[in-house]
Amino acid sequence: MAVEVSVGMADFKIGKDGDVLSTVLGSCIGLCLFSARHKAGGLLHIMMPAAGEAATRPDCKKAKYADTGVPEMIRAMKVAYGVQPQDLIAKMFGGAKVLKEVERNIGQENAVAIQAMLREYGIPIKAHKYGGERGYRIKAVTDTARVQCQVFGNPPEEF
Amino acid sequence: MPDKEIDRALKLVANLAIDKASQVLSKMVKAGARIDVENVALVDITEATEKIMRTEEGEVVGAFVDLIGDMPFKFLFYVDAQDSLTLTDLILRRELGTSKKFDLYVTSSVQELGNILASAVTNVFATDFQIKMRPSPPRVVHDYTSTVFGEYIMEAAADQNEILMIESQFKVVRMNIKCRMFLLPQGDAQKELSTLLGKV
Repeated sequence: MAVEVSVGMADFKIGKDGDVLSTVLGSCIGLCLFSARHKAGGLLHIMMPAAGEAATRPDCKKAKYADTGVPEMIRAMKVAYGVQPQDLIAKMFGGAKVLKEVERNIGQENAVAIQAMLREYGIPIKAHKYGGERGYRIKAVTDTARVQCQVFGNPPEEF
Repeated sequence: MPDKEIDRALKLVANLAIDKASQVLSKMVKAGARIDVENVALVDITEATEKIMRTEEGEVVGAFVDLIGDMPFKFLFYVDAQDSLTLTDLILRRELGTSKKFDLYVTSSVQELGNILASAVTNVFATDFQIKMRPSPPRVVHDYTSTVFGEYIMEAAADQNEILMIESQFKVVRMNIKCRMFLLPQGDAQKELSTLLGKV
């Protein structure tokens, strides 16, 4: 039976056969990967572009960073469902600058880092919506690869 | 000082600060405020945000304040978007129901509340513990609860997987308005506070 699962910051969840993966984003980016062949998908809630020294620590939360989180979710989908990178497509959302006064645009940095990782794996980005100054609520349906994205104060859109 | 004692001492400080803040709020809106929940805990960032996504799906108006000084903290006050309209009317002494949408009056009122509550917290630190602190101008954000909370913990969570969260929920009784306040130690503040409390 399909289930709906929330994905917290610095985490990812995978599912298949109609499971719905949802999260709420600010400057973080929600990366959805789907395999139509396996009717499977994953949602990664990325906070930072690069792990740096943190990657060597045993308690590193790999999903927190683009450069460690993307390979980790791909690996999990391979182990669980036999998905290969060439089976995957990507959709990405979020990266807003909610606190306008903060100088660093972490959302933009996250988006650039994720795009670079996806290029490495040869995974095409089929849809995206990022930037702005408002939060995003997204729901990814694993078997159809459809994502409902609602920017705060706006009606939901389908991607 | 053992961890449990530090937690107890932190809870005491938090209670003093939050109690002071809620007294100030009570006077400001001329209605009784009651503290419902106080919690001092080391929380996992993933679990904390996932819980908010599951349990608080709505929208809030929040005031972010940096407490700058000897012991830096981040302060967050938020209230349900609908309740922020009632709070605005109470603060501006207007007939209830006058505020109908999120506008400049609501922004200013929540900003003022954030400022006053954060100042009350810094006063407790300064008066009771001789810790110099001053609040930054509040930044007001109207957004999903999870977005507001996520942006609040973002900086601390960048370097840590678990953060020490001092949380309080209090209610403006007459209007049944629930407000939440959080204090988050920054940098070495947690260690310094523990050292200081060990001497008390």
